[in-house]
Amino acid sequence: MEEILVHLHDVSIGYDEPLIAGINVEIQAGDVIAVLGPSGIGKTTLLRTIAGLVRPLEGEVELGVPSRGGLGYIPQRLGLVGNSTVRTNVEMGARVALSRWYFPFLPLPAQQQRHAQRAMEDLGIAHLAEQPVRILSGGQQRRVATAKTLAQRPKLVLADEFLGELDDDNVDIVMQTVRSAIEAQNSAMVMVEHHEELAKQIANRIWRITDYTLVEEVVE
Amino acid sequence: MNKRYYFWGGALLALTFLTFIDLAGDWGRLSGGWTNLKRFFSESLWPPNWSVLEAQSYPVCDASFDFMCSVAWIGMWETIKIAFVATVLGFLVALPLSVLAASNLSPIELAIPTRVLLAGMRSLPSIIWAVLFMIVFDVGALAGIFAMTFYTVGYLGKLQFESMEGIKNAPLEAARAMGMTRSETAWLVAIPESANNLVSHVLFMFEYNVRHGTVIGLVGAGGIGLYINTYLKLAQYDKVVALLLVVFVVVVLIDALSMMLRAAVTEEGDVERPAWSSLFLPAAISSALHPTPMRSVSAEDE
Repeated sequence: MEEILVHLHDVSIGYDEPLIAGINVEIQAGDVIAVLGPSGIGKTTLLRTIAGLVRPLEGEVELGVPSRGGLGYIPQRLGLVGNSTVRTNVEMGARVALSRWYFPFLPLPAQQQRHAQRAMEDLGIAHLAEQPVRILSGGQQRRVATAKTLAQRPKLVLADEFLGELDDDNVDIVMQTVRSAIEAQNSAMVMVEHHEELAKQIANRIWRITDYTLVEEVVE
Repeated sequence: MNKRYYFWGGALLALTFLTFIDLAGDWGRLSGGWTNLKRFFSESLWPPNWSVLEAQSYPVCDASFDFMCSVAWIGMWETIKIAFVATVLGFLVALPLSVLAASNLSPIELAIPTRVLLAGMRSLPSIIWAVLFMIVFDVGALAGIFAMTFYTVGYLGKLQFESMEGIKNAPLEAARAMGMTRSETAWLVAIPESANNLVSHVLFMFEYNVRHGTVIGLVGAGGIGLYINTYLKLAQYDKVVALLLVVFVVVVLIDALSMMLRAAVTEEGDVERPAWSSLFLPAAISSALHPTPMRSVSAEDE
């Protein structure tokens, strides 16, 4: 039986005015969904609504993932702490696997440290571990944000144009790492992507947003 | 558009002038004021009496250098120690309070009462706190430490919660979406993100407290102000001037040290390291004297 991670029931999203209305979709374990559509149409708002950062104007977002650590979110601006080191940022992801009562100023247990180290190695940023994030290039920062989410091992990854600023080789490395993590953990991913060709290579489902509606397209 | 700015600028100046006239009242009271001031300056204030830098027979002092037994040294050193302890204690109390007061980190039901508390601590000037704590601890440094700490908490708390509210939203949103707790978000995201400002505020506060040590000392709360107060009562104004000059020199030195430390904690390339001349000269003149070479920025290789 398919594991449903998120179910959107008749959801309208937006801020004051609806941007997309009547959304009825499910996200299942194993899905890699690309959200396509022109700028300003509500792709980011859709991700933020699923992430629980924006309330839907109508309808209900039913989450089948744990509220702590179940959802990984890579915002367009990456959401990294520039003054902290790469390791501290990546370990933040691993930390949410622990109880919420684990003191934030205590170091991570060895197992979570290993998860963080592994994620950094997979994305080729282990040699930058002790560098502050703010001095890294845009592409390196994108890999840090991805490593942070991988170390978290969430059931659902929401990524907002996180492949931008990566060159072709790095897109391959990042995507292969993310895909194998998703397969290994039977999780899912929703990504907003501007490059349609790239999106179609990666995704097994496509959501196209047009005329205030979300349409599911068949991937050839 | 420009005319509107001129109109409002002119209106503001006119309002300021009228308020000033209203407050100044009887200009006749100023007659002879300058002459009085000049006489006071030449007869009582100048030249400064530098005996305050010489070793005193009382209080008993067994320091290795004579200078360290002088009124200026004993008083100034005590002021610096009071300011240091008060700044560190104030920071330790202000930090958790500023997390509670920041509207992007705490629920509004918690943020508003915390802000009211901070405003309350800030609204009493440190001199009033000093009087209150002197009732508790009697005359001396302890009253000064508590007075300064209370004021520091109110002032630093406000500066810090405003810094925390000014951090970028993306890291906070990522933290919320992944289910980090409020304390994790504060400790791992908000404090490191605003760390440069926090350190800069602490250094500023230390400098402020040293300057203010003179004032709270006037009511008996320890430090160099206590000696200034004594000399004022004894009408030894030339010694007061000497002590004020010592305070001035120390404040300038601490200001310089604080500027250098602040430049060190600020992100590379964001702030130019200050030149010594910037302590005394307007920024435009100082930067003309010490032009900064162009910085080349190189991104690390992928």
